[in-house]
Amino acid sequence: MILVVGLSHRTAPVEVRERLSVGADVLPAVLARLASRSELLEAMFLSTCNRVEVVALARKGGLDAACTAIREELARQGGVSDPADLKPYLYEKQGDEAVTHVFRVAASLDSMVLGEPQILGQVKQAYDAAVDVGSLKGTLGRCISRAFGAAKRVRTETAIGAGSVSISSVAVDLARHVFGDLNERVVMLLGAGEMAEAAARSLRKDARALLICNRSFDRAAALAGEMHASAVPWEGLEQELAAADVVVASTASRTPVVSRDMVKRAMRARRGRTLLFVDIAVPRNIEPEVHRIDNVYVFNVDDLEQEVVRGLKARQGEVEAAEKIVGDELAQFLAWTRGLEVQPTVVAMRVKARAVLFAELERSLAGRLKHLTDGDRAALTQMMESAVNKLLHAPTTNLKARAAEHEDAGELAAAVRFLFDLQEIAGTGEARAPEVPGAATGNRPSDDDERLPN
Amino acid sequence: MNLLLADILFGATAAVYLAACVLFAAFLLGRAERAARWAPRLVAVGVPLHAAQIVVASLVLHVCPVAGIHFSMSIASMVAAAAYVLARARFRIDVVGAFVAPLALTFLLASRFVGSADVPRFRSAILPFHVAANLLGVALFTLAFATAVAYLVQERRLKQKKLEGIFQRLPALDALDRAEHRFLVAGFPLLTIGVLTGTLWAREVEAGGAAEIARAALGYVSWVLFGLVLLLRAAAGWRGRRAAYGTIAGFGFTVLVLLFYLVRDAAAGASVAMGGP
Repeated sequence: MILVVGLSHRTAPVEVRERLSVGADVLPAVLARLASRSELLEAMFLSTCNRVEVVALARKGGLDAACTAIREELARQGGVSDPADLKPYLYEKQGDEAVTHVFRVAASLDSMVLGEPQILGQVKQAYDAAVDVGSLKGTLGRCISRAFGAAKRVRTETAIGAGSVSISSVAVDLARHVFGDLNERVVMLLGAGEMAEAAARSLRKDARALLICNRSFDRAAALAGEMHASAVPWEGLEQELAAADVVVASTASRTPVVSRDMVKRAMRARRGRTLLFVDIAVPRNIEPEVHRIDNVYVFNVDDLEQEVVRGLKARQGEVEAAEKIVGDELAQFLAWTRGLEVQPTVVAMRVKARAVLFAELERSLAGRLKHLTDGDRAALTQMMESAVNKLLHAPTTNLKARAAEHEDAGELAAAVRFLFDLQEIAGTGEARAPEVPGAATGNRPSDDDERLPN
Repeated sequence: MNLLLADILFGATAAVYLAACVLFAAFLLGRAERAARWAPRLVAVGVPLHAAQIVVASLVLHVCPVAGIHFSMSIASMVAAAAYVLARARFRIDVVGAFVAPLALTFLLASRFVGSADVPRFRSAILPFHVAANLLGVALFTLAFATAVAYLVQERRLKQKKLEGIFQRLPALDALDRAEHRFLVAGFPLLTIGVLTGTLWAREVEAGGAAEIARAALGYVSWVLFGLVLLLRAAAGWRGRRAAYGTIAGFGFTVLVLLFYLVRDAAAGASVAMGGP
């Protein structure tokens, strides 16, 4: 069963989220730890500005143990000695609810900034990292792939992303409420990543001057060239704080890069002119105490949420259309997963049918039909294969269809196992046919079985 | 020209200002978004009505409108409203009218119902200059006060990170700070002239009563406060909240000076009514 354990902007403040967040550099190690947990069959770790969560596949009957394992790993990641301390902030979703959550996250329906495009890229990065480490395989991998499909449909079939209230546009709006027109203002971006690039696109047409300050000057210069901005060396940050009016911070630093003392010195040089920080990084880039300085205002991602909610209200119609798409895609995936539940029964049924018929054929070919030529034997074998397929086509199709449409297909599968005397593998609920010569296809589903219902 | 016309103009002006107050209040309370468009226009309509009322009333009463506190208060509020109408587009401070309109209405009503239109006993050639400079200064300080109050509201919302409600409706924080500074810069020389002419006038008429001294002292304090706000902003970068508090304090002392005049005139009126001198 698929489960999700994590926290987001809805359940935990940025102070908690930033403790648990994982940078790209340590993500493989974290995934390796998750993969080594025997309670988890598959796992993916998603860490963004607004959420930190583990999506996993638990062993059958091992849901509680899997949740506990994930809580322990999250606590370990955040340096929290007792995992129970995290409980007030964590959500745990299982089964259909967990899958729904994954789909909605990928489609940006659970984002603070509804319809923002970054989340899909972040989920893809998490997916790639998990695949690289080997912690993502069949079922969960299929779930995430399907979530990508849903997200793409939402993006192309609705206008949820068009004119969306991005963090950058919210930052611009906030800056306008502080400064009025920005065309006399200097805006500085701290960091030169994806978020900084999005902010630069929003701000470059409004601001009088755009400065980009990044640890890697080359990266800052490259982005500055693209955005008709000016690159600033990292060492000159404090000096530039005296000139900038709006600072949008989005570096990947694990510790604050702008301190209270630094800003106090800058404010003396600014002769008290208003300074606005929009800190969209998690962990935060600006010390929270900076907000206490006169004429200085610091807004982090949580503070911007109410601005975003206003944008959400304006696009409620698009949200409903997007939710419908997610619902459609979700139904298809859930049908597929329920199909997986009856798959062992289908396979066992086919294996048994083949075993019985081919055993009889072998006996006849060794006895009364031993005079047949090789060509005749091949024709008989082919006929037997066709008979098995035709005979079992209806029960197979009906069982799968029932599984796709109803949650109680398990009862029907049990009836099939009873009628055909299919043995059940202890503790797994999977059906198994007796091993017979000439019928060694194993329990692997055929390509046809793997196909997703459409 | 008769008293009825003056009364009609007075009533019309008061009604227009009152309507502007109601619309501004409705807008700030989030009840009527379109009110923000109409309320400043009503103030703009109120200004010429107000001016006409002052002219007609002063002609009817045969009183020079800048010769005493009675009409001067009314003129000050009219000038404040006019300055607001002119400045609102430049500084984008439409909503500051929410503070200006009630002040204009209050001053208008006070000029009618508090004190009398009699001119002071001590007449002097300096007096019209003193009153004119002061009333213009008071008008600009009224606007500075209104923008300072709006600034403090915005600043508090920003520090508390409450970005909904009134925060969305008030002008940008920095626009308020700049507008407040400009009003002070424009008003301070006028106040300086008012203080100087007031001092000269007091010497001329040899005013030396305790009330006169206290009123003059309050006038000096407001002048010093406004001066300090401007000086500290220029020299030490004191702007924003500190400047707003200084402006409000300075305006408070200015209002106290006006109250002194009103109380004096009211007392004089009562004394005359009781058969006194």
